[in-house]
Amino acid sequence: MDIFNGLMLGFSTATTFGNFLYCFLGVLLGTAVGVLPGLGPIATISMLLPFTFGLPVDTALIMLAGIFYGSQYGGSTTAILMNLPGEASSVVTTLDGHEMAKQGKAGRALAAAAIGSFFAGTVGTLFIAIAAPLLAGLALTFGPAEYFSLIVLGLITSMVLASGSLLTALGMALFGMMLGMIGTDVNSGAARFTFGTPNLLDGLDFVVVATGVFGLGEVLANLENERSRSAGIAQVSSLFPTREDWKRMAAPILRGTGIGVLLGVLPGAGVLLASFSAYALEKKVSRHSAEFGKGAIEGVAAPEAANNAAAQTCFIPMLTLGLPGTATMALMIGALVVQGVQPGPEILTQQPALFWGLVVSMWLGNLMLLFLNLPLVGVWAKLISVPYHYLFPMICVFVAIGVYSINNSVFDVYMMALFGVLGYFFKKVGAEPAPLILAMILGPMAEEYLRRALLISHGDASVFFTSPLSLGTLIVAALLLLSIISPRFRKVREEGLQEVD
Amino acid sequence: MKIGQDSILGLFFAVTGCVALWIAIQYPFGTAGRMGPGYFPVIISSLLVVTGICVVIRSISASGDAFPAINLKALFMVPAAVVVFGLAIEPLGFLPAVLLLLVLSAATSVKFRFDWKASAGALVFSGLCTVLFVKLIGLPIPILGTWLQ
Repeated sequence: MDIFNGLMLGFSTATTFGNFLYCFLGVLLGTAVGVLPGLGPIATISMLLPFTFGLPVDTALIMLAGIFYGSQYGGSTTAILMNLPGEASSVVTTLDGHEMAKQGKAGRALAAAAIGSFFAGTVGTLFIAIAAPLLAGLALTFGPAEYFSLIVLGLITSMVLASGSLLTALGMALFGMMLGMIGTDVNSGAARFTFGTPNLLDGLDFVVVATGVFGLGEVLANLENERSRSAGIAQVSSLFPTREDWKRMAAPILRGTGIGVLLGVLPGAGVLLASFSAYALEKKVSRHSAEFGKGAIEGVAAPEAANNAAAQTCFIPMLTLGLPGTATMALMIGALVVQGVQPGPEILTQQPALFWGLVVSMWLGNLMLLFLNLPLVGVWAKLISVPYHYLFPMICVFVAIGVYSINNSVFDVYMMALFGVLGYFFKKVGAEPAPLILAMILGPMAEEYLRRALLISHGDASVFFTSPLSLGTLIVAALLLLSIISPRFRKVREEGLQEVD
Repeated sequence: MKIGQDSILGLFFAVTGCVALWIAIQYPFGTAGRMGPGYFPVIISSLLVVTGICVVIRSISASGDAFPAINLKALFMVPAAVVVFGLAIEPLGFLPAVLLLLVLSAATSVKFRFDWKASAGALVFSGLCTVLFVKLIGLPIPILGTWLQ
């Protein structure tokens, strides 16, 4: 199917009444959770995942995707108006965005963020439409060795990008892989780490772990600084960028989009890296670099474009290879697998309506977001001021209902409470949980591909180095690890990730 | 020696790894060409033990951040509220379980006041949740459980 026919099919799928409605619902919810500090897309998606099981698979994916990229838009609103990142990826937006707001240019900063995001979203979805079929064609030639190496790369990237030390992140990833091994071994049928309870025979549901660690754990952590949770909200003035603004933000948006599109595809990198890199690049190349940190519009437009572009293109490895690059994508895979769709190179030929419908819905969603975020920014600004002591009991209720409804199992609810405590513990010891969730999904895949690769080669580990693609992937992974040891990169990483905390 | 973040995390990794390793060596290991169910778990849990020990060593050699204070009230109350929800949902049903969870978790907040406004809000919210999840989404959970029918 060529791209044109694909897009036509996508339009007819995405514009059915149900899909259109759920796309709108998704971006609306996404903006809301993006705006609210202390409630992120991972927690929201894992919370809502069980309720999508009853929907058709394309509708479910369209809505979940909408939550994810919608939260990128919403995150920038809080960043600009309150100097608080609604999402981790909008941390850099606080630097210049809030400065602009202090100077009475909040409206223009919001417009720059939304316009940059919309442009980047459009390019990002086009890039998916073009690149995904190519990559899927390529992926058909991948053997288990290539897949294993890609998984290793994804895990290493997520560790390098986690805040805190590499060793801590490695421990979190290994712990996540252990959690992923709980349950029945697919090859031998042996029950592993089930502690004799039949509740664990099907494995530990990663939705339970994700809602526990990100949803409940976040609540516990936020309750700590409850008293200090008040901040002024900047007034929103004119939303129209001036001619000067347009001139200054055009090139940064283009560059930010380029960076975001490419980095989004890299397994494990996600949207955070994209926004940091775009900001760093703009600071270097801009003619107004002295203004950075003091309210430069480039410093808002470029990272916002980059994080939204990456939020679209990070779907590519998930859809075409079946490999999640980020924790959010791991949740999307979970949503697909529950519905009986195995993401991978065949998804384009077997589920064309699903793939193209998602691509087109993303573009429609971006368009809706532009209108939701600019004229309605006053509504969102009000939402920020909802006090946390109203919000968190509702979060508790939603996570509990969500987890219970997966299997109607009380055991899952107790496990979620346990992982909530663990999530709080990880927060206290300064260990970021993102590698854990990713490894929990990737771990069992890694085991399966390692087993297959070595079965074919009769136990000869050199298969990973004789295939050029596998070798290349492993070299990139090794370079990433080496780069973190180099003091210069280390400094940049520490500076960049420090802002997140 | 003050107890740092790292020493506790390292111990957590090492102990979890040890337990996992002890369980994993009881599964058939197999060979590289024909892996048994124990092959991968043994490797991963050994790595986890080693990582944990390294983190502990790092905590001794370098002065890391101290373990921060813990909000014991929240740490106990919120998970307890979730457990109460789990205990209540089958015998009491959806509506009472949601109400219990809502009130118990809200009580954790320093701003919690038990007045008529809060109670009315909790009732209305539980009612809305019941309509949304049981009536509209159609979760197969009875609104009132076996004890109340």
